[in-house]
Amino acid sequence: MKSKLLLIAMLIGSVLCVLALSGCKKSVAAVTTDSGARVYDTEPDWNDGTKLIPLGYQEAQGKRIFYQYCVWCHADATPAGPSNRSNLTPVPPLMNDGEKLNGESDENLQKIITQGGSAVGKSLMMSPYGKTLSPGEISAVITFMRAIAQPAYRKAGQPSPPSTNK
Amino acid sequence: MALEGAVSEQGMIGWLRRNIFASPAHRFGWASVVLLITLAIAPTKDFFNEWRHYQRQYANFLSSRPDGAAVKRHFNGGIQQIWLPDLNVVDRCPTCHLAVAEKTLQGAVGVPEPFQAHPLAGHNVKEWGCVVCHRGQGPATEVAEAHNATRAWEQPLLPVKYIQASCGSCHHGELPEAPQLARGRELLTRLNCQGCHKLSHLEAPSLGPELSSVGYKVSREWIYKWLKEPRTVLDKDGNTTVNGYESGDESRMPQYRLNDVELRALSAYLSVQKAKPLETYKINPGVVATWSKKPDLVSLGEERFRQLMCTTCHPVAVTRAGETKLIGGNIAPELTKVGSKVNEDWLVSWLHNPQGYLAHGEMPRYGWTDEELYKVSRYVTSKLTDSDLLSTVPQLGPPSDDEIKNGKRLFLEKGCATCHSMQGILPQKDFGPDLRTMGAKNLSELDFGKSKAPHNLISYLQTKLKDPVSVNPAARMPQYTWNQADLEAVTTALLSQTGEPATSGLEQLVALKKPASFQAVGAFATVYERYKCYACHRFNGYGGTLAPDLSYEGSLAQRKWIFDFLKNPQTVRPALILRMPQFNMTDKEASIVAEYLSLAVQKPGVDPDSIDPRLFTPAMVAAGKALYQTKYQCQSCHTIGGMGGYVGPNLNNAGNWLTPAWIEAWLRNPQALQPGIIEPRRDFTDDEIRDLTAYLMTLRVGIKSQTTKSAANARSVSLGAGR
Repeated sequence: MKSKLLLIAMLIGSVLCVLALSGCKKSVAAVTTDSGARVYDTEPDWNDGTKLIPLGYQEAQGKRIFYQYCVWCHADATPAGPSNRSNLTPVPPLMNDGEKLNGESDENLQKIITQGGSAVGKSLMMSPYGKTLSPGEISAVITFMRAIAQPAYRKAGQPSPPSTNK
Repeated sequence: MALEGAVSEQGMIGWLRRNIFASPAHRFGWASVVLLITLAIAPTKDFFNEWRHYQRQYANFLSSRPDGAAVKRHFNGGIQQIWLPDLNVVDRCPTCHLAVAEKTLQGAVGVPEPFQAHPLAGHNVKEWGCVVCHRGQGPATEVAEAHNATRAWEQPLLPVKYIQASCGSCHHGELPEAPQLARGRELLTRLNCQGCHKLSHLEAPSLGPELSSVGYKVSREWIYKWLKEPRTVLDKDGNTTVNGYESGDESRMPQYRLNDVELRALSAYLSVQKAKPLETYKINPGVVATWSKKPDLVSLGEERFRQLMCTTCHPVAVTRAGETKLIGGNIAPELTKVGSKVNEDWLVSWLHNPQGYLAHGEMPRYGWTDEELYKVSRYVTSKLTDSDLLSTVPQLGPPSDDEIKNGKRLFLEKGCATCHSMQGILPQKDFGPDLRTMGAKNLSELDFGKSKAPHNLISYLQTKLKDPVSVNPAARMPQYTWNQADLEAVTTALLSQTGEPATSGLEQLVALKKPASFQAVGAFATVYERYKCYACHRFNGYGGTLAPDLSYEGSLAQRKWIFDFLKNPQTVRPALILRMPQFNMTDKEASIVAEYLSLAVQKPGVDPDSIDPRLFTPAMVAAGKALYQTKYQCQSCHTIGGMGGYVGPNLNNAGNWLTPAWIEAWLRNPQALQPGIIEPRRDFTDDEIRDLTAYLMTLRVGIKSQTTKSAANARSVSLGAGR
């Protein structure tokens, strides 16, 4: 009788073992995330209004600051109508002009915005924004500029993107 | 068979007896083995856990990177947890998302998930954890439990597309960092969602016009047409037209699903609403007699209509180069076909005194002459028309009593009184469901009806917004049309309606909305109400945003300039299309406003009389001019004498317009006076600031001022500061 009880106990034990172990090696569960949609904000491609460029958080903050402070001279249309760009000599570069701006390093752009055009021997009309914007805000503007650049901007050492927006 | 089984069982028991239960020592030994195996289950299970799988992958990933060794030093292995007792946060997400706070991997290319570093954002992971923004189940250590909705945890991860909803749960005030949320909140306000629903932390909506006397204003046929199609859908993106023109935001009346009988009943009921007799204004018959003979009466009226800057607030469709589009402001009704809408008697009395018809409207009461009234009303009723507007409306005839009775019932049933006030009908409160906790609703609380939409909160919201009857055939909610971006923005704003924060920690961190109020007092209040200054201008956070904020106008502008400007508004910003209309203010009214603004509406710390411009010398002026033109090149943004940029205001008349104290304070730190203003703060020395101020104060042009006694009065006060 005793041995029968032991037997039952052992059987139950092994069943438990099997049950418990079966839960061990789980296949990695599928996650319903939206890796394709990591978009905080978007900006229409300046050269092709039907395309939207996805922006991350930093770039979106750069966009906001751009449309507050920079758009008046660095775009051809502004939220208030015509741009001041054509009034200026030398004509300021468009913010998405990759040919002109992709060559400038982040550090150099940060310096131009912080200390003004004269700091790097460029136009005096580019005012210094170092006392108006924080360094973080200025680098956000630079990331935005990189995001909308045409031709696309590539970081040093970064392989060329699979499809260039040309 | 049964016997065989019994025999083999016998045999097996016999075998067990002989080998395992042979002695107490045997039994003990085998029992111990079983116990040990059982005990080993837990560590084995733990060893095969999902998160260990990811941690092994992470170690491999790091060894493949040149900078991996440095990062690896931060990696201890085991369950990683962010514990923030103040916020009641226990987030184990970094157990798999191991590099989430790794600065060296921020923005690195080619990093697979879940090892990407969190991009730089408003809050960092170490101080805020993950679920505060991303939702999901923080303490879970299994992928599916942490991310998805399960039976025990109904709040899945929030898709990144709608992440700004989480910003809105705590930041109740304005948050320019979250543009999608801001747009969604703006839409909830503009579309008057609060007419029927309770929502938290939104601007008060401006509801539809009072309809108590609408029978004087429009015909039954027009009401029928308007109720049937207040807008028509233009394209698949949900862009809409009003009167056939692509519209912006200015039309807020939604489309109700009404059949012909209902349309007849409602139009009958509304067309007999004549609660307050119309105060008809009779234009002087002499004026009519003279002007009606002029062949160019209508074109003169059009000219006056343009000069009066009606389009600053009212959009009108204009055809230029074959393309028709709306131009003008968006804070008042579109007027392209208004001549086919309103009765002429009503129009004249409205233009003469809008407050006689609508006590709380935003249309100012202009001091128009009879000639202007006649010309403009003739232009509006003969040119701003469309003979086809009502061509699709059936013959309605005089309204019958049954139709009127039925219409009144429908007016209540459809919730019209939630947005429109009507004499004799109480406003309908809480007509629609309370949405203050909509963004935190569990799946089990949502009724999808027969809709085949995916079962999650976001899809529920969007299905309901796109087609209210698809989830509930009895829904009273009208039909809105959305483009995809607006639909997502409104979804975000609704998801941010999560009620009070669940934890006391967050509650203390909630960024409350600043209350805005401005109470005009004394004689100024009368003028302020008559001309509805607040419809366009903002005072201490209260009022419109179409025109400059006047909260500090008294420190900024000279009193005489304010007076002259009110008498004859001219734009100081060359690029602006919208301008202040000509109000025909009396001298007395203009001097009341000038006096009130210059004395009562000031920026603390800027005393208009603190600088004596008499101390400025010609040498200072010359130095200032050189600084302006050469060293700082202010002309890149400002215009003087027709030369310069369009960004800043025109400075031609700065010496008559601005106070020297304001110029000085402005040059020192523009953002301190007006946060967010474009002009950058420069490194001027004190001497440079003085010289520039001296130069700007010499810039004057003679304004053709309509000087009378009170103007002279205003001038005598400003002379002290002006010279």
